[in-house]
Amino acid sequence: MSIPLSYYLTLSAILFAVGLCGALTRKNAIIVLMAIEIMFNAAILNLIVFWHYRFGASVTPQMFAIFAIAIAAAESTVGLALVIAVYRHYRSVDVDEMRSLKG
Amino acid sequence: MNTAFWIISIITVLGAVLAITLRNLVHCLLSLVVCFFGIAAHYFLLRAEFLGVAQILIYIGAVAVLILFAIMLTRHVTGMEGPRELGGKWWMGASTAGIIGVLLWWCVRREVLTAMWPSSEKAQGLVAVIGKALVSEWVVPFEALAVLLTAALVGAVVIALEEVVRKR
Amino acid sequence: MDEHLYELARQQWLIPFFPLVAAAVQSLLKREQRKLSAGLCLLAMGTSCVFALRALFGTLNYGNSGWPAHVNFTWFEFGSTKLELGFILDPLTAAMAMMVTFVGLVIFIFATGYMAEDENFTRFFCFMSLFAAAMLGLVVANNLLLFFICWELVGLCSYLLIGFWYFKPSAAEAMKKAFITTRIGDVGFFIGILMLYWRSGTLNLYGDGQGALEQAEKFALMQGWFGWSLASTIALLLFFGAMGKSAQFPLHVWLPDAMEGPTPVSALIHAATMVAAGVFMVGRMFPLFTAGAVNGTTPVLQFVMWVGCFTALFSATIAVAQNDIKRVLAYSTCSQLGFMMMALGAGGLVAGQFHLLTHAFFKALLFLGSGSVIIGCHHEQDMMRMGGLRKYMPVTFVTYLIGMLALVGVPPFAGFFSKDEVLLVTFQQNKVAWALATFAAFLTAFYMTRQMFLVFGGRWRGGHGGHEPHETPWNMTVPLVILSVFAVGLGWFGGKYGHYMATDEGEAGSGKLLVMALSVVVGLIGIALGWMIYGRKPLATATDADPLQAKLGVLYTWLQHKWYVDEIYEATLIRFTMSCGRFFRLVDKRVVDGALHAIAWTAWGVSQVFRWGGDEFVINGGFDTGCESVRGSSHLLSKLQSGRVQDYFRVLCLGTAVLLLIYFLKT
Repeated sequence: MSIPLSYYLTLSAILFAVGLCGALTRKNAIIVLMAIEIMFNAAILNLIVFWHYRFGASVTPQMFAIFAIAIAAAESTVGLALVIAVYRHYRSVDVDEMRSLKG
Repeated sequence: MNTAFWIISIITVLGAVLAITLRNLVHCLLSLVVCFFGIAAHYFLLRAEFLGVAQILIYIGAVAVLILFAIMLTRHVTGMEGPRELGGKWWMGASTAGIIGVLLWWCVRREVLTAMWPSSEKAQGLVAVIGKALVSEWVVPFEALAVLLTAALVGAVVIALEEVVRKR
Repeated sequence: MDEHLYELARQQWLIPFFPLVAAAVQSLLKREQRKLSAGLCLLAMGTSCVFALRALFGTLNYGNSGWPAHVNFTWFEFGSTKLELGFILDPLTAAMAMMVTFVGLVIFIFATGYMAEDENFTRFFCFMSLFAAAMLGLVVANNLLLFFICWELVGLCSYLLIGFWYFKPSAAEAMKKAFITTRIGDVGFFIGILMLYWRSGTLNLYGDGQGALEQAEKFALMQGWFGWSLASTIALLLFFGAMGKSAQFPLHVWLPDAMEGPTPVSALIHAATMVAAGVFMVGRMFPLFTAGAVNGTTPVLQFVMWVGCFTALFSATIAVAQNDIKRVLAYSTCSQLGFMMMALGAGGLVAGQFHLLTHAFFKALLFLGSGSVIIGCHHEQDMMRMGGLRKYMPVTFVTYLIGMLALVGVPPFAGFFSKDEVLLVTFQQNKVAWALATFAAFLTAFYMTRQMFLVFGGRWRGGHGGHEPHETPWNMTVPLVILSVFAVGLGWFGGKYGHYMATDEGEAGSGKLLVMALSVVVGLIGIALGWMIYGRKPLATATDADPLQAKLGVLYTWLQHKWYVDEIYEATLIRFTMSCGRFFRLVDKRVVDGALHAIAWTAWGVSQVFRWGGDEFVINGGFDTGCESVRGSSHLLSKLQSGRVQDYFRVLCLGTAVLLLIYFLKT
């Protein structure tokens, strides 16, 4: 392939920044979780990119990536369950309203 | 191949950007799905076929659906968000993300990284190899992962179920 | 000096010591311990009397040698200056001490009866003891400082005792008047003492040839003021003190008002002793008076004589028109003191001192008699409301008569001898003064006869039915009897007294018989005139006018008002002093208080500056600003804890960015 490594890394960086922007900006908790998923994907993409360009013979990076995906899924499950529980209490999923720890 | 890369990259990025800017929650979710598809395509391009399929199965088949369920369960007004979809002072978050992005981009522009060319002959994402590794060398993490997933499942059920049980 | 004399002189201090101790103890007693107080007083006085008697006998056997026996000791030293005190023993002192203690003792016994109903009995005897101690201290002093201390103490006791009934406004006024008037004389006295000390270098009167009086001849050659010699100047200044104490004109105004005090006080202090202190002082300082005498006299002695003569005549005229029984006696005392001063001024130390001794006895007798009359008439003092008391109070009447005759100078009573000597020395010195003195003697006879007839003659003019007079108890009549014995018998010692004093006065010179005869005749004429006006037709009621008033007209009014001397003083000196006082009060309010206020305002202003500049802005402001800034910063910092997850996440990312920056800048 004639795509330089840095292009893929740039892509991953852009995806990460986009996800971060969403996590910091949107006020709906579910969108925030979605943005976090985007960030996850960017990181895992980074892993695979480096496996492809350097460590193609080893299977460890792929294992890494599989486990990361599985854990990301578990995390999103628990996160969304929390969102539902919070929704039941606050009657809204607006993160701006969840500020009882305000100091 | 280059063109494939560019098209898929644009789709991915577009999907991500739309996912965080649309007003309708379901529309956001759908564009997120598009983004996931793009990522999967990138995996295929990078000859990690198993991971690409796993991405589709897990992320799109499970996580996106889960998010959809969550959206459905937390709509109490109209399914649309409020008048402002962004929180107050959204530019602070955006600028922070911008800063991080710039920093990251800057660090990938270094000579060390740009000097590495692809060596695609070695990369083989064969399913057989992954499967054999999973049950021999990586069996302990595999089983631990199973336990983790079970715990996550049970925990999520407990957290999300409580109110309903009490109401009865 | 003889050893025995020296021993006696060493013990002279005991004479004033006993009454002083008694006074100290009495000052601590309670009001109810009356018997104890009186007992202490009498005991002390009796002991002093014994010691004085011993001193007197000790001095009797010595002729011209060794006088005066003195003992000096150092009181305290500061630096190189020594302050000395001393006691003296000579015939003058011994006779005087004897008189003071004896008459004092008799009067104290009388006072136990007179003050029996008064509730301040204890305080009275405490003051009397203190007075006795001061007077005796004055008599035995060989030292100017000790003399002056006792002089002032005597004045103080007089003040306290005149105003004994201080709740009476007239008594309060009288006590102030007495003290202030004698004070005026004391200014001159003090200047004289200072001058004497300065020039002689010692405070002792006699001190082994170095005493102040022993240098008197030296002073007679030095220059003083107004062309007089130094000795005469000092003597004149000292005489001013005597003028105040012995009530000579023009400082006599306090003595009649001093009759506000109880009668024993009048008898002891204002008849026998304190007023005699001035005469005694002139006698004690006589070497200064006679130093540098030309023709037997000096300018100061002339001054003394004329002051005494004028006072004698002046007071006698006033006494004629007084209605209060004690006022008559007060002016009589004033007049007799004038006689004494006149005698001293004429150079007759013996005559003057002898008259002092006899006068003490019969004047005390007369005052005690008047006290007896007052008590017997239930505290009545106006003679117009008395009368016929010879029937009710026989003992008092007889003793009073003896005293009166002694005062008038009828032989063979004591007053005759002493007054005769006074007139004789005056005759030898200045005929005009003698003539005036003889006229004063005539007036003395007249007003005393007037008093006798008004009080004891005729019929009782006071209230009837329970208000009749009665005789007084034994502790008042017995002292009268004792004193009357002396009033009769003391005169025979006249000649012996002259030898005793051992002065160089020659035997009578010319004119002795003439003077003697004339004084007797004049006395008898006075008595006859008094009988004619008051005895033949006694007053019928208390409101009858005085027969003399009709005869003298306006003059009588002038006499009754004491020649308006008090009114003149009031209009001039008193007014002037009061306006000075008012002026100074104004100065005090404006200037002194103004300065004080200015200082206070300045201090306040400075404190305000410190408060605003320092305290308020720097300390308070700084502290407050510090606290405010802490609060503000904490307020700001608490905004970090917004409770919003996205904010925390944002900060986290920014922190990561910073770390990244640092990492990449390093490599």
